[in-house]
Amino acid sequence: MSAPSIPNLLSLRGSRGGHRGRGRGRGGHSHSAGLSHDATIQGTDTDAAVSRMSAVDLGYLQDPFAQYFVQSVGGNVRRLPIINRGTYTRTTALDRLISSFLSGTASQERQIISLGAGTDTRCFKLFSQPSHAGLIYHEIDFPAIASKKLQLVNATPQLRSIVPNPQNEKDGWSSSNLPNGCQYWCHGLDLRALLNSSIESLSGIRTDVPTVLVSECCLCYLETSEAQGVIKFFTEKIPNLALIVYEPIHPNDSFGKQMVSNLAARRIHMPTLDSYQDSTKQQSRLKEAGFELATSLTIRDVWRKWVTEEEKERVDSLEGLDEVEEWNLLADHYIVAWGWRGNGFQRWEADL
Amino acid sequence: MSDLDKAIAQLRACRPIPEAQVRELCHKARELLIEEGNVVTVTAPVTICGDIHGQFHDLMELFRVGGDPPDTNYLFMGDFVDRGFYSLESFLLLLCLKVRYPDRMTLIRGNHESRQITTVYGFYDECLRKYGSANVWRYCCDVFDYLALGAIVLNASNTLSPPNEMTPSEEYTQQDIEIEVCNADGDIMSRFTRRNSDQSIDREQKSPNGTQPKTGPPGSGASGSSGGTIGNPTGAVLCVHGGLSPLIDTVDKIRLLDRKQEVPHEGAMCDLLWSDPDEIDGWGLSPRGAGFLFGADIVKVFNHKNDLSLIARAHQLVMEGFKEMFDASIVTVWSAPNYCYRCGNVAAVLELSEDPTGETFFARSNGDVGRSDGGIEGVMMESEKRLKNGPARRYRVFQAAPQDSRGMPAKKPVADYFL
Repeated sequence: MSAPSIPNLLSLRGSRGGHRGRGRGRGGHSHSAGLSHDATIQGTDTDAAVSRMSAVDLGYLQDPFAQYFVQSVGGNVRRLPIINRGTYTRTTALDRLISSFLSGTASQERQIISLGAGTDTRCFKLFSQPSHAGLIYHEIDFPAIASKKLQLVNATPQLRSIVPNPQNEKDGWSSSNLPNGCQYWCHGLDLRALLNSSIESLSGIRTDVPTVLVSECCLCYLETSEAQGVIKFFTEKIPNLALIVYEPIHPNDSFGKQMVSNLAARRIHMPTLDSYQDSTKQQSRLKEAGFELATSLTIRDVWRKWVTEEEKERVDSLEGLDEVEEWNLLADHYIVAWGWRGNGFQRWEADL
Repeated sequence: MSDLDKAIAQLRACRPIPEAQVRELCHKARELLIEEGNVVTVTAPVTICGDIHGQFHDLMELFRVGGDPPDTNYLFMGDFVDRGFYSLESFLLLLCLKVRYPDRMTLIRGNHESRQITTVYGFYDECLRKYGSANVWRYCCDVFDYLALGAIVLNASNTLSPPNEMTPSEEYTQQDIEIEVCNADGDIMSRFTRRNSDQSIDREQKSPNGTQPKTGPPGSGASGSSGGTIGNPTGAVLCVHGGLSPLIDTVDKIRLLDRKQEVPHEGAMCDLLWSDPDEIDGWGLSPRGAGFLFGADIVKVFNHKNDLSLIARAHQLVMEGFKEMFDASIVTVWSAPNYCYRCGNVAAVLELSEDPTGETFFARSNGDVGRSDGGIEGVMMESEKRLKNGPARRYRVFQAAPQDSRGMPAKKPVADYFL
């Protein structure tokens, strides 16, 4: 029996993606010894891109840009169903918060600043929708990642058509004449460098428009004081500001301990994990940082509360999920927390 | 040394055996399994194990903790393969032991013993990687189709045998110990005696594995209010991978199924391998997309009607290795420590001792013979003969084998997270 003729777990639904071979690893994160922690952290971005591709391939997510950010020699890596569901749920959570911010600030200028954006495709997805006029989108990541992104944009017509005519900036590159008054800015710098600089050092940053800062598994790799400093860098200057963080929690129960030790074996450390161990601490962290309102959901909550029954049924039908207990454990160990102050976030308030 | 013993030795060292030998082994195993009914009868003493999932080194640890086969009789409740890196070695070793010691090894089918599931969760990939073709996977899948769907354990005593020579057996008879939890070295971690109902509150606070109070501590109700006394025969124990089915109200109905096929997407056979007990009334939809959820009322009626004192099942990860529910009428046994190298859980096996009087061997029926009340009223009434006295249970709890255990190189696990 050749691979494509083997039934999927839910073979009744028909085979999806016969081009996807089997028997390839689920890894995607083999780092040779001797890499610095920074390099290891940059590697987690590859991990996320591979996971996103897996979720797109299997139909969890629609993302025409995901394919350009993975090197698929010999086909894509297929992640396990719980990882795919996690990628889906996390993306759903961020999409919902951002889209409700954008629709609440329609017909005005607004700004998104994505910390440690890496190979994130969100900006391409947003720019390709005409309804998002006036969106100023910043990404900040290590210089190597920012220039890699530029290379990729230059080499990929489908991406270049979204962010055309990239210009060099002092701290990266930009494409600031997008249709509908949109702008894209890609900053190549170590976030820790912000601790000793002023807001003007970031090209194109606006302090006068409603702004959402996004940290998808980014600030957690910094020391707690550094993470606080990075947030302060923005809170000091931007009055209408929100922060969305997505990161692991509960490092001290038995699953959490194993998670910390497994990640340590991959030389990944999350210093803030000890400081913000649960939803209460995540929310008070946001309030202490100056956000007036703060709330949070675990990834398990997001799946339960934010994914409609209809959508759950669709997602369940993609692969089937036998790993229910494992999903509950894993999804309980990730949180989306968000806090905000000032104008532009009325829709979030209504959602509270 | 016979070829079979050589194969066992080789597999014990976590080295795969040649394809031709796998073929022969699977052929022999099928001949053996085809003679077994859908529900195998097993007599105590027996050690009941839950999911293994290709965690070979942990299976070796299980044998160290539970006693080596054939000195210990084992009953494995399925899910031998998938997820771990050594599904092949784990399943073939168990199969060799089954062929070598057919009366001392019982293997029943789990939902992962299926062509479809193994193509998604790793066993297919592993066979392809280790043999370069899918032949071995096919031989194994052909064996899966012949595995029994359940087992009935008879002659389990309501008094435990001592776990080691230092412990006198009088302790167990005098104190009427119902549950004993031991660690991997056989040290007694906790004990729970059979008590009457007014003492059961005290017990609730000392659940042996710290499960939530609402699920009830092991043995709190059934044994307490049934007024069981020493020497009363216990009911039989039904072992099944997942749980019950709305289409099955007697064990005899399981016996009538045509099991020699791929696990279907629905129906009684599917339910037995996929269902889960849950804190609900009656039946509910399963989040797994196959099988059902079933509540305490379903278990109690089924056990009463079938003269069972306990259902032992696997299928669900429980962090403490075992979890008794519904007044100890059903227990989940989980035998894959640190499942998927990620979950941080401990594992357990369940030991049932032999009743030296042999009383419980004959006093059984798995149908509705002699039941005039048809089940429901009898179970729901607080009557003396409400439910059969559960057998005494010893849980041996163990952790994942150390990475470099016994000189066998283990692949460095890489567990995925959301990064």
